[in-house]
Amino acid sequence: MNKYIDKFLLHGLALTLSLLSVFAIFKFHDYMDNYEIGILVGATILFSWLGKTWLNFGRFFIASLILSFISIYIYQGNLMQAENNFFLKYFLSSQSAIMWMSALFPLSLIIYWISLFSKQTFYENLASALVWIAALMGLLGLLVRWFESYLISIDIGHIPISNLYEVFVLFCLITSLMYLYYEQKMNTKKMGPFVLIIISAAVAFLLWYTFNKGADEIQPLVPALQSYWMKIHVPANFIGYGAFAIAAMISVAYLLVDNGILKKQLPNLTVLDDMTYKVVSIGFIFFTIATILGAVWAAEAWGGYWSWDPKETWALIVWLNYAAWLHLRLIKGLRGTMLAWWAIIGLVITTFAFLGVNLFLSGLHSYGEL
Amino acid sequence: MRFAITMFSFVAIASIIGTVLKQNEPYESYLIKLGQFWFEIFEILGLYNVYQAFWFLLILIFLIISTSLCVYRNTPKIISDYRKFQDKVQEKSLLSFKHSYKLTYKNFDNSRLEEILLKNKFRFKKKILRNGDELYSAKRGEFQKLGYIFTHLAIIVISIGGLFDGNLVFKVQESLGLKNIIIDDIPLKEIDSSSRLSESNFSYRAQMLLAEGEKQEVAVLRAKEGYLIQELPFSIALKDFRIKHYSTGQPKSFESDLLVEDKKTGKVIAETISVNKPLTVNGITIYQSDFQDGGSKLGLRVWDLHSNQSFVPMASEIFKTNKLVYDDQNFNVEFNDFRKFNILEIEDGKKKKLKNVGPNFIYKIRNESGQAVEYQTYQFPMIVGGTSFFMSGMRSTPQDEFRYIKIPADANRELTGFLKFRSLITSPKQVSKSIDKVIKETSSNKAIDINLFKTSISKVINSFLEGGYSQIANLIDQDITVPKQEEIANSYIKIIFLVSKEIIKNYKVENKDDDSFILDDSSSFIQDSLNAYSDSFFYGIPMFFELKDYQHIQASGLQLTKSPGQVWVYIGSIMLVLGIFCMIYIQDVRLWIIKYKKTKKIVFAMTTNRQHYDFDKFALETRDKIKSIIN
Repeated sequence: MNKYIDKFLLHGLALTLSLLSVFAIFKFHDYMDNYEIGILVGATILFSWLGKTWLNFGRFFIASLILSFISIYIYQGNLMQAENNFFLKYFLSSQSAIMWMSALFPLSLIIYWISLFSKQTFYENLASALVWIAALMGLLGLLVRWFESYLISIDIGHIPISNLYEVFVLFCLITSLMYLYYEQKMNTKKMGPFVLIIISAAVAFLLWYTFNKGADEIQPLVPALQSYWMKIHVPANFIGYGAFAIAAMISVAYLLVDNGILKKQLPNLTVLDDMTYKVVSIGFIFFTIATILGAVWAAEAWGGYWSWDPKETWALIVWLNYAAWLHLRLIKGLRGTMLAWWAIIGLVITTFAFLGVNLFLSGLHSYGEL
Repeated sequence: MRFAITMFSFVAIASIIGTVLKQNEPYESYLIKLGQFWFEIFEILGLYNVYQAFWFLLILIFLIISTSLCVYRNTPKIISDYRKFQDKVQEKSLLSFKHSYKLTYKNFDNSRLEEILLKNKFRFKKKILRNGDELYSAKRGEFQKLGYIFTHLAIIVISIGGLFDGNLVFKVQESLGLKNIIIDDIPLKEIDSSSRLSESNFSYRAQMLLAEGEKQEVAVLRAKEGYLIQELPFSIALKDFRIKHYSTGQPKSFESDLLVEDKKTGKVIAETISVNKPLTVNGITIYQSDFQDGGSKLGLRVWDLHSNQSFVPMASEIFKTNKLVYDDQNFNVEFNDFRKFNILEIEDGKKKKLKNVGPNFIYKIRNESGQAVEYQTYQFPMIVGGTSFFMSGMRSTPQDEFRYIKIPADANRELTGFLKFRSLITSPKQVSKSIDKVIKETSSNKAIDINLFKTSISKVINSFLEGGYSQIANLIDQDITVPKQEEIANSYIKIIFLVSKEIIKNYKVENKDDDSFILDDSSSFIQDSLNAYSDSFFYGIPMFFELKDYQHIQASGLQLTKSPGQVWVYIGSIMLVLGIFCMIYIQDVRLWIIKYKKTKKIVFAMTTNRQHYDFDKFALETRDKIKSIIN
């Protein structure tokens, strides 16, 4: 039975996404420019391919689509339903979905730590499943939020990656998915206790930001952000940030094992070292692409591809940092404790580029102000 | 290479300095922040514009040279490596590799081996050795090494592109003393060629401020503490500038309708630009960068809050200065800004909501000795806590926040009610009459000295009329001991309120026929008016500027960019991504097989220049595949 379901998923996702895209292009082409249609087609290909090469992602993506369409159906075009309808209020509105995500990530962190000291595989499988569900709720939250923004007003509607609140959800989502990919690929769930720390920290910030600052309210786009570039630049950047975060957390595990702590529970140094390298590499490529796309966008919006704006400059510093990291590893063959420490410091630099610049330095990139 | 990495570290450190110290601020603000001594040192180091500083560009040039040398030295070797198969190997050297195995065979089918190699994407070369033994040397992933060339060339190409756009020509001209930066405001006609950059200037990012209906032929290039004039091949006229808003009030778009006229051909292009939608003409890209007031016309009423006279009308414009006489002193009123929309967070019930509160304008009143007080006044009354107030903020230094005087609006949403109130409470006759009445009502049965009571009440009222609540505070500080101060203060405030209320009541009784009379006798209006009266003593000179009407004229801030390096930066960027991809995701693998005819033995070896975890797996798999065909 499962075999047939998987077989359907294999082709079904690509088919479903293609049909949805064609439908969207026919029905909404008046609201899209050519670039946006291009991005839609590109995204269709990308997610179909991802779902095919990584079956769990395919299942995950189909589930998120089904749930978001249910949510959209219940809304009936009326935003007030979020307060009135039971399912929306507690599960399927973007706010509740994001709250579920915020609850499930810390929960899976705890279970991962229990699994580290338990001989049964039950706990780590449970933790891993919870991460999948949390990520599902995160993606659902973003998709439904996207729809909700159009319910407020047609001209306010936009993809929910435009302010600090939204990109924090995106960060949790991308980081967890990348982690799940490597969990499967490296065939070990022992890195979860560490990676989930950084995700839970992001969740803690998100909750503080929601309850203390009311940041969850959907705001219209400022003119500078009204561009199709946002749809590419921001996610690419967050794949970079997420990868660097994972690399730093695995490096923490590396240093512990290197000092004989949790040696029995954690994978050996070679595996940890190799995974750090893999994650830094993928992060570096995406960060490079994101920075370049940012420059192309800046040339369109700010009047120059490079303005030495604090955010740009710190992106360059982050880039130089990881370029040096990779350079030393690839060319000089350096590895071990030093690179592990370096990856951790790298995350500090990255965090400053991501958050610190918004907090302490003012510039053109002032969308994500606290 | 070490040199290059040192240079890169320098770039990183310089960049950090550039983000910590705000760049391209007016020099005065640096002077205030840093003090004379450090200001000069920072100026010499070029820290106010790090990224255009001479030494920063020098580092970039060094980087280009050093990276170029690196590429020049390594490329021939990489290319020959790419082409060549390493077929001069000895068994001994092969056996020193981590993955080297000696196998024996029964049947060895060369074609099946070749099949396996091709299937695994190896390219190979077969060589017959002396005894008829055979050597297969194979390789895959040679592109990895090309990644090295790509990334390094990319850095060179990007840096050169960046240098193209780094104003180099002007830098050289300036250091040779050929160009002068203008520091003061000089009329355009008087600026000579030494402060003008010609149309042929290679690259620039210049600014242009255009008021609606205006047309300009040159742009302004900011440099250090001043500016230069950039000549353009076309003129730009601004037909209209618009700000569109969302239903929630936030700005949705900034748009300028431009007419760009080519100076040579006279061809006119009409185009609307907005943020994210620039216009490129003759290789120059025109951006919507900001906006400001373009000299809006204001119709004002000037009220003296401390006299009973009616207003004096005044007409002015933004960026104009008007004369004002108060108390025999001359003042200049400088109108600096007008904003048609002001989106503020207003408390609406319990929730805070964004709301457009209508136009405001900003002006400075400067006395003869040059000291100025800055004001920000809103045209329409704003609703605060359910009551409408005219709001006007003042501050003495730009660092301060505006402190607002809140004058309650009357039933017609006019100032008249408050002014009438003021004239009544400052009338000695009315005050005296009302005090009598208040005394009568409050002390009906008690035997106290009425005259003494009246004198002390009068003293309180007069103090208030002379200087507001702070005068009352002085009075209390002088006469009353500390423990009783609060109690007394409260009773004074109450008395002032009661007397004022009595005055209004009185007046209403005496002027029953006056149906145009809109003076509100509710207690909140009286209290608010008393507060406003008291605050008027801290409003600089007590002249209130009421905005009656206006004609909004906006100016659009354009940026004009000529950036010949851009295309190179983009080409370099593509090379960079390709290069990084090659370096990380392509694994350069070499494989050798020596087949000994006599002994029926095989030496199999595999190596890579980068030891990854996956490689071990791959090597073992390949070995097993070969094993499987030789048994």
